[in-house]
Amino acid sequence: MAETGIKTEHLNIGYGSDLIRDICIEGAPGKVVTLIGPNGSGKTTLLRTLTGELKKRGGVVYLNGKDQTEMSAYDIARSMSMVMTEKIKPELMTTREVVEVGRYPYTGKLGILSEEDKAKVQDAMEQTDITALSDSYFAKLSDGQKQRVLLAKAICQEPDVLILDEPTSYLDIRYKIDLLNKIRNIASAKNIAVLMSLHELDIAKKISDIVVAVGDGKVLKIGTPGEVCTESFIRKLYNIEGVESELLGDQYWVSDEGKSDAPLLTENKHSKNPENSRKAKVIMIQGTMSNAGKSLVAAGLCRIFANDGYKVAPFKSQNMALNSYITDEGLEMGRAQVVQAECARVRPVAEMNPILLKPTSAMGSQVIVNGKVVGNMKAMDYFRHKKDYIPEIMKAYEKLADMADIIVVEGAGSPVELNLKDGDIVNMGLAEMIDAPVLLVGDIDRGGIFPQLLGTLDLLTKKERERVKGLVVNKFRGDGKLFESGIKILEDKGMTKVVGVVPYMDLKIDDEDSLSERFTNKTVGEFDIAVIKLRMISNFTDLDTFDQIKEASVRYVEKPSELGNPDLLIIPGSKNTIGDLRELKKSGLFDVIIKKAKEGTVTIGICGGYQMLGETVDDPEGSETGGSETGLGLLPVKTVIGSEKIRTVYGGEIVSATGILEAIKGSPVTGYEIHMGETHPTEELQEFTSGKTGYCKGNVYGTYVHGFFDKKEILQGVVNAVSAANGKSVDTKAAEDYTDRKEVVYDKLAENLRSSLDMEYIYKILGLNK
Amino acid sequence: MSKTRSAVFFTICILLVIGLFAMNIVMGSTSISVGEIMTILAGKAEGTSASIILNIRLPRAVAALVLGGALALSGYLLQTFFANPIVGPYVLGISSGAKLCVALMMIFVLSRGKHIGLALMIVSAFAGSLIVMAFVLAISVKIKSMGILVVCGIMIGYICSAITDFVVTFADDSNIVNLHNWSLGSLSGIGWKEIRVFTVVILLCLIISLSIIKPMNAYRLGENYARNAGVNIRMLRVVLILVSSLLAACVTAFAGPISFVGIAVPHLVRSSLKTDRAGIVIPASFIGGSIVTLLSDAIARSVFAPTEVSISSVTALLLVPVVIYVMMKRKKDR
Repeated sequence: MAETGIKTEHLNIGYGSDLIRDICIEGAPGKVVTLIGPNGSGKTTLLRTLTGELKKRGGVVYLNGKDQTEMSAYDIARSMSMVMTEKIKPELMTTREVVEVGRYPYTGKLGILSEEDKAKVQDAMEQTDITALSDSYFAKLSDGQKQRVLLAKAICQEPDVLILDEPTSYLDIRYKIDLLNKIRNIASAKNIAVLMSLHELDIAKKISDIVVAVGDGKVLKIGTPGEVCTESFIRKLYNIEGVESELLGDQYWVSDEGKSDAPLLTENKHSKNPENSRKAKVIMIQGTMSNAGKSLVAAGLCRIFANDGYKVAPFKSQNMALNSYITDEGLEMGRAQVVQAECARVRPVAEMNPILLKPTSAMGSQVIVNGKVVGNMKAMDYFRHKKDYIPEIMKAYEKLADMADIIVVEGAGSPVELNLKDGDIVNMGLAEMIDAPVLLVGDIDRGGIFPQLLGTLDLLTKKERERVKGLVVNKFRGDGKLFESGIKILEDKGMTKVVGVVPYMDLKIDDEDSLSERFTNKTVGEFDIAVIKLRMISNFTDLDTFDQIKEASVRYVEKPSELGNPDLLIIPGSKNTIGDLRELKKSGLFDVIIKKAKEGTVTIGICGGYQMLGETVDDPEGSETGGSETGLGLLPVKTVIGSEKIRTVYGGEIVSATGILEAIKGSPVTGYEIHMGETHPTEELQEFTSGKTGYCKGNVYGTYVHGFFDKKEILQGVVNAVSAANGKSVDTKAAEDYTDRKEVVYDKLAENLRSSLDMEYIYKILGLNK
Repeated sequence: MSKTRSAVFFTICILLVIGLFAMNIVMGSTSISVGEIMTILAGKAEGTSASIILNIRLPRAVAALVLGGALALSGYLLQTFFANPIVGPYVLGISSGAKLCVALMMIFVLSRGKHIGLALMIVSAFAGSLIVMAFVLAISVKIKSMGILVVCGIMIGYICSAITDFVVTFADDSNIVNLHNWSLGSLSGIGWKEIRVFTVVILLCLIISLSIIKPMNAYRLGENYARNAGVNIRMLRVVLILVSSLLAACVTAFAGPISFVGIAVPHLVRSSLKTDRAGIVIPASFIGGSIVTLLSDAIARSVFAPTEVSISSVTALLLVPVVIYVMMKRKKDR
């Protein structure tokens, strides 16, 4: 249980009868938890119960780890404060007097404030911008001012938990944004757990760390805004399924695809950097050529700054790539900035990559501006028009600059492509617009580091050259000391400081480039994993974790002849289960899968693959293709595909495991579920993953959990059990939890960079004193 | 609220109290010179004049001082409790309830040929005020409207007064005839013995009131915010009810019902001080109540001298306009 914050266990609330049952929610320090749900669903009743206004009808409320019913009124007052919707009209009470009530839990019998109390009152009033109203009577203030005064009162109570009921009702947009920003800032600055109800979904989506949806007398969903505020769920929650109106729009939900757990950048959030409350500091990484390692250096810097406590945003004005990433808002952006955002521990947003060019032919590209497709353009046309995009680029940049402390900008290609320099919006042209100091990265591995760096400097104009504040020698193999004479030459001839010599790093970071490679891999390793290559395969990252095991090979099977004799047969997820089942029957894979499974090959179906393992898949509402199809019949389960998309983060365990995998019983499982159907057993069946998310029989296992293999216990357990059964010996000791591994890679990158770069100097050119 | 404002307020109030107190001693149907009064007060004179000063005028002035303050304080506590500036012990019928109980108790005791004790007077008044208070509370839980609450209070007051009248009319013992004067409200006939008793009770109430200024201040933000400031709401409410009822009961037991002091004085005090801080308004209301009662008693005694007007009539004349003004101003502010 959390030491500070608020937590409920199986709480029942209501007047006279239960309005919401079995509420288990938690508010952690510095996090904003938002309750959403239709009118009358009991949000306010819940908050009133937590504040002690209403008696709970069962369960426990823990405040800072203590049972609230066992705490004295003053103990509760010192741990929790609130701003409720009830209108209060204290007569002849000044604003300051109202705020001072917040200090009462700390004063003596007569409520006389000490100097310290007074300072805290003043501080709270300054934070909420109400010092000018100090002597005005509270009753005469506007609604917006009143809310700020009550917030000040709640803050100077120095709570660990802040409860707010519809804090923005009656407020106009300016006060609304202002108040919520203040709440957000204060939550993170003072490490307060904020629990509030909001009607404005568009705002709830942006401000919350966790969203709790209540309706139908229960808590329906808890998760990040990206997980809860999906279109299908929101429509269902508010009973507006199928309602189309101009007044409804994307701002109220996120598209049903995509997932992200990282926090959203929020405006003016508390920063470690006091003098910089409005505009971010910026540094730009340019390279002497493509693949000089700009992206990695930028990603590593993002992580270093984030580790040092800054809020960091990556930025690259224009990307050219085939594969894009879809943000929680349903917008497209380049993957390099997604990795950098992950390094910075923030949620990727389209503003980080305002222009994305997806080549459609040798001559032209699809142009995506701030996440939305604007059309196809030939390279020549784009070149002619690119200046028109400057406002969009600047808008995106300014938005990030308002939210982050530091922006790490990545250039593209070389800054001295002299024929293209006119109207540059990606390298020096951009650096000029945003007034960024530049680090120039050269790639020593490919040779010619001196002409790369010195030649580039030479070709820059004098003004541009002044922007280059440092040189980075990247991908150096061996002992960096050996290059000391080289540094001296670069510094003498280039008259620019060499900020560091970065060793060559073999880091597996983003998988997009090797994706096609994976699908075409046909080599059979010591431990052979065959994955059925479905036409509508989804979430292929499920199997990336097997890369950690050297002897294991993952190959994708398209034809019956390719199946061979695998140790492990995996049917992955599909975006269209019935369609892919039909394809399998056509290709003949259907029968060989059944044959292999019947022979005793360990067969695991994930999500869509799990549905296929069953007897039938029905789609009565036509959510995918409609109709009905018989499945592989390897598991006695039936699937009905509904219209509601289930999207939750999963944490559970292996309840029981039959057959060869018996040993993994009890192992923890993490991951997430994204599916539209529900699968139920047709006979008594062993539950596989907990929460009725999967079943098993013999050596056939099915689960809805994506990322099933990510936990090292599962990965090692499955490989060890199967290899033992097949008389093989595979070393799995080095395997780690997959999600952790990604973090390990990022941290290692940052660590390497920090030890090879002069970070003190970099902070200096950023204008920050460390 | 500025410090200067309250300093000026309290200075003026104290000067007024001294002035009015002196005036009440000097003024009267028997004229006694200031010089003579000084000698009497110094304890160097005896005789009728000395008796008038020491046993009639002085105790009466002290009674006005203490009971007036108690009434205003009771009103302030009730206003805080109901978060309603147009309530007071008189309009809520609490004074009348106390009156009825005292009357019944007097008749019961006197009919057995005994004399009613001071403690019994206070106890029965307290019981009466609590019974009415219970009624009023029951109504306030059911109906949230301030106006209806006041109307109900006044009705209850009328019922109590009517029953008191019946009782007094049909009881013909000569002692009970005195009840008639008392039941209209009068400070006459209060002696040092009584003063000693009620002063102790009232001072105790004043001290208790001053000890709850912190929860009272928080309570101005409403029950929920007060609870969130760590206030024990139930305890605060019980204390407010008991103390305000006891204060009203004390006044009624000894001086009969005195109208409108409880409702109007706290308001006059608040609007002159421009604050509602309990720590300031409690002492200010007490002094304010003393001033108004001293002034009203002086008027009651002197306007139609030697005939005495009931003090309640004077306070009504002086203070009802204030109450009406408050109600109209509140309506306008909505």
